[in-house]
Amino acid sequence: MIVTKSWLNEWIDLSSISTDKLLKKLNSIGLEVDSVVNNKVPEKIVFGRVVECVKHPEADKLNVCQVDIGTSTRQIVCGASNVRVGLDVVVATIGAVMPDGMVIKPVKLRGVESYGMLCSAKEIGLGDVCSGIIELDSSIGKYKIGEDVSTNPIFNDDIIEIELTANRGDCLSIRGVARDLSAAFDKPLREINTKEDEDKRVGIGRILTLSHENNLDVNIRYKAIELKNLNIPFVTKLRLVQIEDKRESDIESLILYAIHSTGVILRAYDFNFFRAKNETMARVSLGKDENGFASIISKNKKASIVGVGQDDASKVVGSEGTILIEATYIPPDVISKRMQEKKVPACPAYYRASRGSEPELNQGLDYCISVLEANSASTVYGGTIELGEVNEDKIISVSKKEIDEIIGAVIDRAKITKILKNLGFDTTKSSSDNFVVSVPKFRHDISNKQDIVEEIVRLVGIDNIPSKPFIFAEENRLSDDYTKYKKRQTYRHKAAFSGFFESVHFVFDEKRVLEEHGFATVDESKELLNPIVNTLDTLRTTLLSGLLRAASNNSKNGYSSVKLFEVGSVFNSQREESLKMAMLFCGDKEAESISNCGKPSKVDFVFFAQKVSDIIGAFELRAVETSHSLSHPFASAQILIEGEVVGELFRVHPSVQESYDLDITYMCELDFEKLPYGLKTANQTSKYQASFRDLSIVMPKEMSYEKVKSVIDLSQTKNLVRFYPVDRYSDASLGDNMSLSIRFVLQSFDKTLEEDDITGSMDAILTALKNELGIEIR
Amino acid sequence: MSLLKEWYDAIKEAQSVDRIEEIRISVFGKKGVLAAEFARMKEAPDEEKSKIAQELNVHKNGLMNELTAKKIVLQTQELIKNMKAEAIDVSMFGQKPQAGALHPVMETMDRIVEYFSSMNFAVKTGTMVEDDFNNFEALNLPKHHPARDMQDTFYFKDEMLLRTHTSPVQIRTMMSTKPPIRMIAPGAVFRRDYDITHTPMFHQVEGLLVDEDGKVSFANLKFILEDFLKYMFGDVEVRFRPSFFPFTEPSAEVDISCVFCKGEGCRVCSKTGWLEVLGCGIVDPNVFEAVKYDNVSGYAFGLGVERFAMLIHQIGDLRSLFEGDIKLLEQFQ
Repeated sequence: MIVTKSWLNEWIDLSSISTDKLLKKLNSIGLEVDSVVNNKVPEKIVFGRVVECVKHPEADKLNVCQVDIGTSTRQIVCGASNVRVGLDVVVATIGAVMPDGMVIKPVKLRGVESYGMLCSAKEIGLGDVCSGIIELDSSIGKYKIGEDVSTNPIFNDDIIEIELTANRGDCLSIRGVARDLSAAFDKPLREINTKEDEDKRVGIGRILTLSHENNLDVNIRYKAIELKNLNIPFVTKLRLVQIEDKRESDIESLILYAIHSTGVILRAYDFNFFRAKNETMARVSLGKDENGFASIISKNKKASIVGVGQDDASKVVGSEGTILIEATYIPPDVISKRMQEKKVPACPAYYRASRGSEPELNQGLDYCISVLEANSASTVYGGTIELGEVNEDKIISVSKKEIDEIIGAVIDRAKITKILKNLGFDTTKSSSDNFVVSVPKFRHDISNKQDIVEEIVRLVGIDNIPSKPFIFAEENRLSDDYTKYKKRQTYRHKAAFSGFFESVHFVFDEKRVLEEHGFATVDESKELLNPIVNTLDTLRTTLLSGLLRAASNNSKNGYSSVKLFEVGSVFNSQREESLKMAMLFCGDKEAESISNCGKPSKVDFVFFAQKVSDIIGAFELRAVETSHSLSHPFASAQILIEGEVVGELFRVHPSVQESYDLDITYMCELDFEKLPYGLKTANQTSKYQASFRDLSIVMPKEMSYEKVKSVIDLSQTKNLVRFYPVDRYSDASLGDNMSLSIRFVLQSFDKTLEEDDITGSMDAILTALKNELGIEIR
Repeated sequence: MSLLKEWYDAIKEAQSVDRIEEIRISVFGKKGVLAAEFARMKEAPDEEKSKIAQELNVHKNGLMNELTAKKIVLQTQELIKNMKAEAIDVSMFGQKPQAGALHPVMETMDRIVEYFSSMNFAVKTGTMVEDDFNNFEALNLPKHHPARDMQDTFYFKDEMLLRTHTSPVQIRTMMSTKPPIRMIAPGAVFRRDYDITHTPMFHQVEGLLVDEDGKVSFANLKFILEDFLKYMFGDVEVRFRPSFFPFTEPSAEVDISCVFCKGEGCRVCSKTGWLEVLGCGIVDPNVFEAVKYDNVSGYAFGLGVERFAMLIHQIGDLRSLFEGDIKLLEQFQ
């Protein structure tokens, strides 16, 4: 909602209030100021009057004017086609600095001296108000020839954009904002008096009848006017530019101006639209249209839908003839409910209607007619034709105690009464400790006690309410959700310390890409209805694709080592949410440095697995064929923790690497729920020295170490604490076999092991390997 | 004896620890000079023996002292030499951490959660896919409500939706728990909006306090939010402006004095000197009615974590937060 200080001033006297104070007040009463622009016309630009105007002897399109600028008369050459004798104009005098930086100097134009410039609105920074130079009229108020134009508030205005909240339909007009300010400043609202001289006028009843269906929840009122010689005043044109709105025809522009001024929804109709041939009377009927909207109908033709839009055929064309001006009101909940049920195209008026337009129809209608009359040679028909169905009053009762409790401070009773009264609430039925408040019709947003308290809070000023700590009973509030949050936090910290950067991606992904990579996608029946872009048209079912994309971008940005992780939600085909953690490691193991001669080695399987293990603890790997196609088929593994599969770890498929422009890359994705978290218990440890023995066995290259491992595990060899592979060797003599060295750690709780004990254990292992797998020592 | 004297010179001239060891063996070894002298002493007349022994012992001690002292000198010299050989140009080895970093938004969320946990708020989470009742209806946002425009929503084909705020967590908590309630709901939320200042997903933390009727006031809300904002932003001014949210009444927006220009007015604060950071209010009775709570009062507040993170860390580009961009992230190492 755009307002200007001078426009507000038409309804409330702001002459003693600085713009700063005005802005502060607007903010403090909940009308948030979004931006302010001071539109001051520069100095040395003055009011002038053209006293003589003759054609330039050398140029057809130029006029040589003598312009009265108060102290003297100046010769100014002007190229505007609308310049003429008697016109009051805006004159940039010698020395004036125009908004675009141009300095006005005496010049010769085709041999004729010119001492200044007659200005268009654009030239003085007011925008595209009208073509040619400004033609001043009485709409700017009193002015004196020779004075700087910026002494007039219209030429030194503050244009204030207010970010209105959805509940404040009552402030969708200049008068509405002025009304709220009048309560805030405790200053009266200026009502514009438009008493008409009914006797001399032909009554509207002679030319118009209104018929209607009942229970349409509509208030409607008509005036008729014989339109003639309409001239839109300068200020109106200027303000329509300031509110960044415009209409095609003059009458529509004026209607728009009246709507923005008063908040009443107004329309102009061509009288003939409602008049049958050969009849003098026009017949307007109000009824429901095919979608249940209250509509204005002429015979079978729809002229408009109340609060929604007008048919072009019923609009006024031209600027002469009989027209009808209509003011309507429909309660916002009625119109927005209807629209919710049946969406139809709407004009800008719908926004006002759905948020609550001004119900005092006369405010808008009278204002509109008075502006029309003042700026044309029109004649107005006497009286109005009207229908008023919406009339009930809202009464709310709230006790002084309730008010104080909600606010948390004791507010003076008299102060409350004054605030409510200033806001237009009737409080006369209140008792000493109870307020009975009758809500003015324009306050659609007020429906309960809290709403009344809000009004009081708003005008008392929240900053004037002292803060107070809440006193409460302490309670253990460390919920399961908190534990989950902490677990997530712990893993995030570990991942960061292990060298990975935390990334956050949208939970959206591109369905086509997910499918291409062989990932499950959300079932079609549960898919997004209104995705924002094609590349985010589904919910992600994996964290991997987001990490891949990010890695790709970082690689393109020149990072030779990319380490990323994310902990986030993914969805399955049934759109059930679960938490996953994923890591990606691409390219160099470490930063380039002296120690690696500037050529760090690339990440490899073991290195990556070690990094992952630093984060999630000990795990085992089992070869697996992944369900998606991102992985290298011969370097993919399931991750098992204590026998349970918690995720997968793999090298990225070379062709995927290529298509994402990536160096060698490893990834892993984990089910977060399955990752261990909780307190650890310490095992008893032996006080005796541990012994180490290496065993080199010859096994088929094809055989998985997992088999060897499980045989050794199952042998339950005495004193064997742990074992792990340490070396691999193959050569031509070994053929399809390879030699694998395994290191065994043996330890007893009872004693330091002797050679016999150790040999016994190692023999047991060898026997098991030989019996189960046919494997022998090298 | 003169033979022994030569060794003094030998020690003096020794250039290495190895040479000292040679000398030691030559002098003190089993087959060394001293042993030989003592052996010879046995052949000397008895009356001279004690004199010779005395003299030999003087030399023995003297040589040993010389030897030990020289050894220490040489050892030290050698150590220094070796260490010199190990000298490095430390200025070549200024380091960047190999560690990664937490995401600034997530870390900001952690700080927010930390504050409210320490103020005895419970942490509650919920699902991203929600239904109309929990996301809108129960929050006093009936289908035709104009405020639904404010939250352009992602819908699914089966009429479910992506939550537009974390408020449904509050509704679910109230539906399943009796008052009093003191909770925050951190998490990702979704609006159908994508431009320089909006992303379709962002993060919120919303808070809710419910207690007996008449107990919870606007003044309480002011207290905790002022304290919270000072915890997050340091020494800032806090301003409350009346506003409107369907689920609270009275409602307010909370501004802090601009952290960039200290309230002087700059580009970030649109020359106003203030930055809007929070929405809050007294819970609307219609919300309590929807969750079937009687005789209670409460306050609620909500904030966008990205906005906090951007203001705290002076991050200019919202969208860069969702790109895993190491250029940005490595600054938080």
